[in-house]
Amino acid sequence: MGAYLASEDGFKPPSAADFNLPPIFGDNPFTTKPIFLAFLSVILVSVFFISASRKALVVPSKLQFAGESVYSFVRNELGRDVIGHEFMRFVPYLFTLFTFILTNNIFGIVPFLQFPTMSRVSFPYVLAIITFVVFHYAAIRHKGLFPYIKEIMFPPGVPKAVYVILTPIEVATYLIVRPVTLSLRLFANMFAGHLLLLVFFLGGDYLLQGAIGLKLVAPFAFGFGIVLTFFEFMVQCLQAYLFTLLTAMFIAGALADEH
Amino acid sequence: MNRNTPNDDDRNNSQNEANALWSIVGYLISGLLIWGGIGWGIDQWLNTTYFILVGLLLGAGASIYLVWLRFGRD
Repeated sequence: MGAYLASEDGFKPPSAADFNLPPIFGDNPFTTKPIFLAFLSVILVSVFFISASRKALVVPSKLQFAGESVYSFVRNELGRDVIGHEFMRFVPYLFTLFTFILTNNIFGIVPFLQFPTMSRVSFPYVLAIITFVVFHYAAIRHKGLFPYIKEIMFPPGVPKAVYVILTPIEVATYLIVRPVTLSLRLFANMFAGHLLLLVFFLGGDYLLQGAIGLKLVAPFAFGFGIVLTFFEFMVQCLQAYLFTLLTAMFIAGALADEH
Repeated sequence: MNRNTPNDDDRNNSQNEANALWSIVGYLISGLLIWGGIGWGIDQWLNTTYFILVGLLLGAGASIYLVWLRFGRD
């Protein structure tokens, strides 16, 4: 068996190296595909919503209806229902976040683009840092700096000695675990999803070049790949929603009064 | 909190529960990370192997207690 495998050229499975795309223009590291995709998403989102809202009619056109559906989804489901009565201040941020992440995620299954920008971990990191700043700033504005720090560090109703154990956990939760899990969840989902699709399509391609028996199996690999593409679409939407939802929840927590 | 309609109150409650769910995961992770990490550090320092276990148990226990403090006392 080992000899058989060794005699073959062998299938080279896709790996993390497949995500290190070379710069497009010369050696400039700022001209990689993910960066262009991020800019493209900004252009697409802007053009779509500007043209959807330009001629606002009482009886909306299809475009206006589509734009307004997305907006009211973010505004009502993610803003109003989660944050509560002060939600309008945060809707622009939530809306930008949701549409930006969603577009970049869906790039993962758009023909020719076919790369989820968020599978490069720096993008989710930056978004999580922005969310981090937003919800801490909102909390400090709402509660004042020292009461907020006190609320984080010292949950009420505990013997003083126990704070030695609890305070590090609280501080780590607010300062490290929240932004890190937020960004890693998005990154890992996009990374794994893209890898999964690569395995099925590159594997199918490899099978096609093999013996006749392997050629017969190849359609199944492609078939699964297509099914997984639909599955990926679902994951991409879900992760964009989840990132925005958690951001809204952190903001809600920042504005909630401790009781 | 003063809410006008029972419907509003219901929605608010279920929303709070959903919020709690996500925060609980965060607390559990950081409890394990912090105290497990401290235990691991002590192990490295003293060349022992059991402080990481003590740390993980302490962290898990403490974070569950913290979850109860934050969400379970009403």
